[in-house]
Amino acid sequence: MAEETTEQPVELRPLQEYATVREWLRGLQQHWGGDPANDDPERLPMLEAFCRHINRDPDQIIKETTMIKDGEKRIRVKGRERYVGLIDVWQAAMEGSRIRKAKWGNTVRSFLIHNGVLLQSGVQN
Amino acid sequence: MEFKEVIGSRRSIRFFDPDRPVEREKIQKMLEAMRLSSCAVNAHWARAIVGFRDDLAEDQLKRLLTPVAALNVELAPVHIHLFNDLGIVNRIQGSRLKELVDVGALAPTHGWSHKFVDEFVYPQILKPLTGSPFYQVTSTFDVGVAACQALLTGVDEGLGVGFVTLNGAVLKEVFKTPDDWIPLSTILVGYPSERADGGGQRPRPPFEEMYFEGAYGKPFKRDDKVVAELKAAKMIQEPAKPNDPARIEEIKKLADKYGLPM
Repeated sequence: MAEETTEQPVELRPLQEYATVREWLRGLQQHWGGDPANDDPERLPMLEAFCRHINRDPDQIIKETTMIKDGEKRIRVKGRERYVGLIDVWQAAMEGSRIRKAKWGNTVRSFLIHNGVLLQSGVQN
Repeated sequence: MEFKEVIGSRRSIRFFDPDRPVEREKIQKMLEAMRLSSCAVNAHWARAIVGFRDDLAEDQLKRLLTPVAALNVELAPVHIHLFNDLGIVNRIQGSRLKELVDVGALAPTHGWSHKFVDEFVYPQILKPLTGSPFYQVTSTFDVGVAACQALLTGVDEGLGVGFVTLNGAVLKEVFKTPDDWIPLSTILVGYPSERADGGGQRPRPPFEEMYFEGAYGKPFKRDDKVVAELKAAKMIQEPAKPNDPARIEEIKKLADKYGLPM
């Protein structure tokens, strides 16, 4: 992570160029309808902010929370646990009301969920 | 509620009203229903520890939350943790079978006697069974039967119920259970904050693919008249529809209410 190491800051392409972001938006559209990229103009910037915070691009996040074992996609339990914690801490550090903070965290959780990484965070409001 | 309607109205509830407590007597009724369930050799392996969420210490509740059940557990005011008491058979050594003989449930007409239990059933069947690799499976089946009765009683009492599987090792530690209790599922209990019908009856495989007559491969023929009768009795209810706008809207509102990811 950027704050823990001397890694170079991640260079992010426009978010919709990442396969995992497209998968996220496809999942949102399929489940909830509408135009997920534009219905909520904060959605992509919020994910981008998290990516910059942890110094990872979206595809890397999914790579760190999943793996291929015996030809099948699996969830990395420790990877997911780590991201659950990272999201919680990041969300808590955001400014605003509890609802507002939850929106930051839930945006990233939604990104993971629609990429097949099941996680539940409990009640956020 | 009529019996068939209870069966038809049960849903696995995942949105509980976290602020509406469940009456203690309703929980007792669920446990009473468990106790009355059918059970092989009258052993009664099912054990339950009731956890009232708000009575748990913060760290205890936190330990119960898993990535796949954190929300449900947090929302449900009551958790009934189910265990299989594997040691029971060797503790009672057939005595409960002899109780069945005494009350005439098992009679000489069917070959039963105290002597049969003492000399044959316990030493030659039950005791060896407890060392068999199949013991856990066969005994857990009966815990499931008991749990189902609790579940349906909860529905009859107007409650929402649903099974989850928590971390067994954590359950044993938090609730300090005996070593020979196997942790099983947990029944979450509360009043639903989603519509009690959960958007309709959940999808099920076709009847004829699951049940057979005479031999495997010959489907048990489903009689439409029976289906109509069960619909009238509300056992078979309106099925949930894919992408149902009303259900999607309901979930959006619940997500807003509880601050959940979408």
